[in-house]
Amino acid sequence: MAALYFHIPFCLKKCSYCDFVSFAGREAHIGAYRAALEAELAEAAGRYGRLPIETVYFGGGTPSLPEADLIVHLMAMCRALFFVNPEAEITVECNPGTLNLSKLRDYRACGVNRLSLGMQAAQEKLLRVLGRVHSPEQVRDGVELARQAGFTDISLDLMYALPGQGIADWVDSLKEALALAPTHLSLYSLILEPGTPLADRIERGELQVPEEELALSMQHAACRILGRRGYRRYEISNYALPGHSCRHNLCYWTRGDYLGLGLAAHSFMGGERFANTSDFDAYLSGTRRVSGGFVGPREALEEEIMLGTRLSEGIALERLKGREDRVRALAEAGLATVEAGRFALTQRGMDVQNAVVLKLLDP
Amino acid sequence: MDQKQIRNFCIIAHIDHGKSTLADRLLEKTGVMAVRDMTAQVLDSMELERERGITIKSKAVRLPYTARDGKQYELNLIDTPGHVDFTYEVSRALAACEGAVLVVDATQGIEAQTLANVYMALEHDLEILPVINKIDLASAQPDVVKREIEDEIGLDTEGCPQVSAKVGIGIEDVLEAIVNTIPPPEGDPEAPLKALIFDSYYDNYRGAISSVRIVQGTVRVGDPILMMAGGCSFDVTELGAFQPGGYKPTECLKAGDVGYIAASIKDIADIRVGDTITHRELPADEPLPGYKKVLPMVYCGIYPADGGDYESLKGALEKLRLNDAALSFEPETSVALGYGFRSGFLGLLHMEITQQRLEREFDLDLVTTAPSVVYHVIKTDGSMVCIDNPTNLPPAQEIDWMEEPMVDAQVISPQEYVGAIMELCQDKRGTFRNMKYVEGGRVVLNYDLPLNEVIYDFFDQLKSRTRGYASFDYELKGYVKSELVKLDMLLNGENCDALSIIVHKDRAYARGRSIAEKLKEAIPRQLFEIPIQAAIGGKVIARETVKALRKDVLAKCYGGDISRKKKLLEKQKEGKKRMRQVGSVEVPSEAFMAVLKMD
Repeated sequence: MAALYFHIPFCLKKCSYCDFVSFAGREAHIGAYRAALEAELAEAAGRYGRLPIETVYFGGGTPSLPEADLIVHLMAMCRALFFVNPEAEITVECNPGTLNLSKLRDYRACGVNRLSLGMQAAQEKLLRVLGRVHSPEQVRDGVELARQAGFTDISLDLMYALPGQGIADWVDSLKEALALAPTHLSLYSLILEPGTPLADRIERGELQVPEEELALSMQHAACRILGRRGYRRYEISNYALPGHSCRHNLCYWTRGDYLGLGLAAHSFMGGERFANTSDFDAYLSGTRRVSGGFVGPREALEEEIMLGTRLSEGIALERLKGREDRVRALAEAGLATVEAGRFALTQRGMDVQNAVVLKLLDP
Repeated sequence: MDQKQIRNFCIIAHIDHGKSTLADRLLEKTGVMAVRDMTAQVLDSMELERERGITIKSKAVRLPYTARDGKQYELNLIDTPGHVDFTYEVSRALAACEGAVLVVDATQGIEAQTLANVYMALEHDLEILPVINKIDLASAQPDVVKREIEDEIGLDTEGCPQVSAKVGIGIEDVLEAIVNTIPPPEGDPEAPLKALIFDSYYDNYRGAISSVRIVQGTVRVGDPILMMAGGCSFDVTELGAFQPGGYKPTECLKAGDVGYIAASIKDIADIRVGDTITHRELPADEPLPGYKKVLPMVYCGIYPADGGDYESLKGALEKLRLNDAALSFEPETSVALGYGFRSGFLGLLHMEITQQRLEREFDLDLVTTAPSVVYHVIKTDGSMVCIDNPTNLPPAQEIDWMEEPMVDAQVISPQEYVGAIMELCQDKRGTFRNMKYVEGGRVVLNYDLPLNEVIYDFFDQLKSRTRGYASFDYELKGYVKSELVKLDMLLNGENCDALSIIVHKDRAYARGRSIAEKLKEAIPRQLFEIPIQAAIGGKVIARETVKALRKDVLAKCYGGDISRKKKLLEKQKEGKKRMRQVGSVEVPSEAFMAVLKMD
């Protein structure tokens, strides 16, 4: 059983906060990239045989930017080379500014059953700060088109702790998003990556990010607002209606096997983590894996703690044997709960998950 | 060489006025070193010395010079350390000379520190030869500076060399002036041997070596010698003159000569600066005057930031000790810091330089505790103990009274800062002794100051309050009874031994509050709230709180790429290695040092 990830590194325009491997203005190379992806897919089938596939995720970049036939063809190949479970979760990440009905119908027809739309904010001014190409209207239109094309599982991404974002902006964004009745929401606190235009502007003092306390208030407001509408926070940044958690993402957090295809894609297969080259030309000319190695038992436990404590279901208490003193201290401090043989973080614990993990990992 | 053709001199200058550059030029001009072999400032060979522009150890070098009178001269340049901690070493180096070249920057004029050095040279009866440097600069005002020298020090500047050491103007004039104005040494080469030790250092092949000035008599290879104060006896294996980067062995050293003596001495502690070397069979009646046993004045704990580096730290200290007789250290343990060393120093600069050398030359990360002086504790049973580590202070009920060391401090400064200096000395529990106006609108202030105030932040405060214009010098005066208390710092209720200090009871409240505030800044927020308390004998006198961490989480692991998160985690784990566990609190190594910083 495995999850498949395809990286589609093309964008209309690079967002101001983005330091992922993605490019604007290289659309001319889409054909060559598709050929390289298909070749890698065939190589993977040669290496792993007919893998049973539970989830497929097209991420980017902007997977919805190229014509639909890219995804249609890749899905056809997947089905030819692997056992794709008929109940598989198949997601395409979309920029609302790149959607039209026929594209969405083609996605639906080839088995895509979940869309993740980068809404980010409901305010034009914040979208501009982020360097997004879409408008708030395009989000509404995109969701409408998706429903027309037959999609019922729609996820929306929102960002908080943005420069110039007030708590009222944030609550409005949440409400706008909820009005579109998504089954899933991802709420990401802005991370300033060094060297991105947004980080530079903040460095220069042109923009200010909200204080830590305000960012926390935003997070807590979201929890309450979404909680009242039946969305459960199943992971630090992810909320879903019952039965709509993202199975693909859960595979990452629970350390299931996943195979990443494409530029800079990451994989975890049979206990080994590896990554593809992030050099576009090298990838096109056949370079694949550039780093990786097997995860030893100690590192595996560290990963399990680091990833598992992101989930509301937490991790099995027995995995924390020998760390009882810290488990107790964390529980007493109200940062974690110990129930039914599982160790899970409370909301306050999730706010400081990094520090909690470090505490648990203390020698 | 005939005594008449020998000149022994040193160079006095304010930092940056060009002492080392001039020395380099003199070396170059006399052909001791070819230009291509020179790295800038040969005499200041330690990296740290070059960087800080100060000389840490005394050095000597022999320059052969054929003067305009056609005669061959032997010029011995003795380089002196330039800091208050090494005042005694400086005084011994000056005692080895007949003259001093006073370098004054033509753009800056005389500065306070220069004056203090000049006075010291005058006390040693040295002939002072002023040299105006940096005359190549557009802002040079040699005539103004010359007048200043005449008015403020009373030296004749008629015909004094005007040079640019940097570009090499007037270097020969300096050499000629040395020959013509500095008197040759005197002393009977046939009299019983008296050689003044003005420095010592360690050579891997020759053992510990003495830098000496032969005051009278003659010493030869094979002679049995006696250290008059130290009492140890050795046989001379080699002697000679110094040249940059090496030794120039000779058969003998005679009255008036400056050079080195090697005698297979294993421990540098057997060579004491200021001691007199004499002949064992034909000893001198009495040693040369002025010998003082140099004792450490300041102690601190030195610990490796990473506990695993203990052995490396020990090895490094042993290596430094080979060359530095004034450095002492003994193993000690701290609950908070683990295994380390209690180390003794001549003063703060000596301490700072030693720490920096450990870090740079041995690539060690250190944690050091607040410096402490040596206190006398008179116990109720009448016995006395010396305490250099606050942790070792006996319980209060066993203490009858305590004494702290006082210094006789001298500050020289332009008049306008007198108020500020007095205020500072008052703040530091000083007792006013004397004030004297000297030439050029300067004031010499004498205060009795407790050494423990001096080692806290006196230098920094003095510098900032006088914009760097004041110079400061001190000498240990003795011990006085004092109302001292031990101030403890508690983190989350646990006493952190490495942060304890001994302080005057009137200063305890302010110090406690200030340390608590600094700790609050230095200790990162953690999962739990951390109360920081300053306490005297269990009574809390100040309190701060490090609030619990509120937000520390990564939003996203994109596309299954958990490598960033792992990297971050690794980095934080690595950072934790530099943390010390005090009870449940993680304290960064830097925090132990942050408490030493001035307000």
